[in-house]
Amino acid sequence: MKINHPLKKIHALFFGLAISLFSFSAQAQLNIVATTGMIADVTKNIGGKHVKVTKLMGTGVDPHLYKATQGDLRRLTKADIILYNGLHLEGKMQDIFKKLAHKKPVFAVGGKLNHAALIQHGTYPDPHIWFDVSLWQKATQRILEVLQEQDPANKADYQAHAKIYLNKMSELDSWIKQQIQTVPEKQRILITAHDAFSYFGRAYGIKVMGLQGISTAAEFGLQDIKRLKDIIVKNQVKAVFVESSVSPRFIQSLVAGVKAEGHQVAIGGELYSDALGPTGTATGNYLGMVKHNVNTIVNALKQ
Amino acid sequence: MFSDLGMNDIWILATASLVAASAALVGVFLILRKQALIGDAISHSVLLGIVLAFLLTDSRSLPVMLTGAVLIGLLTAWLSDTLHRVGKLQSDASIGIVFTLFFAVGVILVSLYAGQIDLDQECVLYGEIAFVPFDTIYIGGLEDGTDIGPRAFWGISIVFLIVLISISLGFKRLETIAFHPNLAVSLGINVVFWHYFLMTLVSITTVASFDAVGAILVVALLVIPASSAYLLAKSLKTMLWIAVAYSQAAVLIGYSLAFILDSSISASIAVSAGLLLFITIISLQIKRFYQRTQSIEAAHKAVNE
Repeated sequence: MKINHPLKKIHALFFGLAISLFSFSAQAQLNIVATTGMIADVTKNIGGKHVKVTKLMGTGVDPHLYKATQGDLRRLTKADIILYNGLHLEGKMQDIFKKLAHKKPVFAVGGKLNHAALIQHGTYPDPHIWFDVSLWQKATQRILEVLQEQDPANKADYQAHAKIYLNKMSELDSWIKQQIQTVPEKQRILITAHDAFSYFGRAYGIKVMGLQGISTAAEFGLQDIKRLKDIIVKNQVKAVFVESSVSPRFIQSLVAGVKAEGHQVAIGGELYSDALGPTGTATGNYLGMVKHNVNTIVNALKQ
Repeated sequence: MFSDLGMNDIWILATASLVAASAALVGVFLILRKQALIGDAISHSVLLGIVLAFLLTDSRSLPVMLTGAVLIGLLTAWLSDTLHRVGKLQSDASIGIVFTLFFAVGVILVSLYAGQIDLDQECVLYGEIAFVPFDTIYIGGLEDGTDIGPRAFWGISIVFLIVLISISLGFKRLETIAFHPNLAVSLGINVVFWHYFLMTLVSITTVASFDAVGAILVVALLVIPASSAYLLAKSLKTMLWIAVAYSQAAVLIGYSLAFILDSSISASIAVSAGLLLFITIISLQIKRFYQRTQSIEAAHKAVNE
C-alpha cells in the first residue's frame, strides 16, 4: 500500500486511530470496497488473507435503485482500493467514482473490456457482464492486475490464488455449456423480469427475453406483455423465472395472463440476477450463484 | 463511537445545515401563503427544464441544467399563481395542474430521445448528500490544483447568502404582504413584484438544494420546520428564527441517526424533522390540557367558595 497524495495522508491521520483500535492485522491487510457482491467475492478469492473486502450493495439490492447510507461514506473514505463494475451499472455513482479516482485507487472492473465483447443497447453497453463466465474471467484478471499493482509485495500469492480461481471458472464455464445442451434446442428460451441475462444467452446459446428493459427503473408496456405471451404460447415455453432483486409481481401477472389463454406455464424458480444470495449460503458466492441459476433454468425447461 | 468522524462529515453537516436553513427561511413564506407544496411541484417540473435546456444547448453540463431547472421552477410558480387568480381555480389544484402537465411533457420529450441519452432529474440533477465530500472543486486544474472543498457546499452557500440578504432587506414589505395584504396595496407596495421575487428565491433554493442533497429532503425541509414554527411563533420574525432552529436540530439529530443506524442521510434528516414536528404538536396538546385543567380547578374553587 502506498500513500502518494497529501489528502490520503490526512485521511490516514484521521482514521489511523480507529483502524488500529478495531483491527488486529491492520498493517498487512488492504481495505477494499466493492460495489456489488460479485466483485467482492472474486476479490476475496484472489486477495485471501491479504485483503479485507466490504461490499456496498447487500443481498437482494438492485444496483439501479441503490441508495447510499451514512456508513457507505465511511467505507469509501477508509478504503485503500475501490472496485466497481462500471458500464453504468452504478448509475450516478459512477461520476463520483471517476472524480474520486484522482484521489485514491478506484477501478472499474468492466472498464477495460474489449468493446467488441460487449453487448450494446442503443449507445450504452449492457453492464451484466458476470453472467458470461469467460467475460467475468477478464474482469477477474483486471482485479488481479489492480491487486498486484497496489500491493506488489504479495504478488505471488495473488497470482497463485487467481490461477486456482480462474481454473474453477473455466470448469464452471464448460459445465454450463454441457448443462444447457441437455435442454432440447426448441426449449432454450429464458424469460425473466428484466434484461439481465443477455451475456448468458449469448455465451451459452439460449434465447433471452425480459419483461423490462435493461434498467429495472424502466417501465414496461402492454406491448411487452403481449409480445412475451405470444412467444410463450407459440413456443410452448414451460417456465418463466423471477429474479431475486426485482419484484416478482410482473412475472406473476405474465403467468396469469398466459394461463387465461388456456396455456400452462410455470414459474421455474428464482434466479439471482443483480446481486448474490445471502452470505453463508450456497448462492452467497459467485460460482454458487451461477450454478444455482443454471440448475434452476435447466431443471425447469427440461421437464 | 464518534471517533470515526472526520472532515467529510463536517462538509456534509455544513452542506445539510445550509440547505436546511435556506429551505426553512423560504418555507416560512410558502406556509403563510398556503403554497407549501410548491417545492414538491418544482421537484417534478424541473424535468421539463432539464430536457428543454438539453435540447436547446445540446449540453448536459451542470450550469445549463441548473439554469433550465430554475427557469422552469419560476414558470411553475408563475403559472400556478396565474391559474389561481385568473382561472379562479383553487391554489392547490392550480399547483397540481401545472406541475403534472410540465412533468408529463418532460416525460414525452425524454421518451422521444430515450435510448440515446440518460436524461432524468435523478441522473443529472438530484445529488446524494453522502457523496458531497467527494465532488470537490479544484482551483487551477484537476491534476495539480488546490482542493477548496465540495462544489455543493459552495453552491448552497451562495444561495443561502442570497436568501438571507433578500429576506433581511425586504423584511418589512414581506411581513406586510403576508399578514395585511390590503394594507400592503394601499401603502403602495408592489405586491406583484414581491410575489415573483419570492418565487424566484423558492426556485433558486429548491434547484440548488436538489443538486446538493436530492429531492425528498428539500421538500421535507421546505414544509416541516416552517410548519413547526407556525405552531409556536407569534410574529414573522420569531417564526423565521424558530423554523431555522428546527431545521438545524433536524440536521443534527438526523445525521446522528444515520450514523447509528447506517441509513440514508437525507431520509434520516427528513424523519427527524417529522419527529420534531410531532413532538411539538404533542407538547402543545399536553400544555393545553394542563391549562384547561387549571382553569376548571379555578372554576371549582370559585363555585365552592
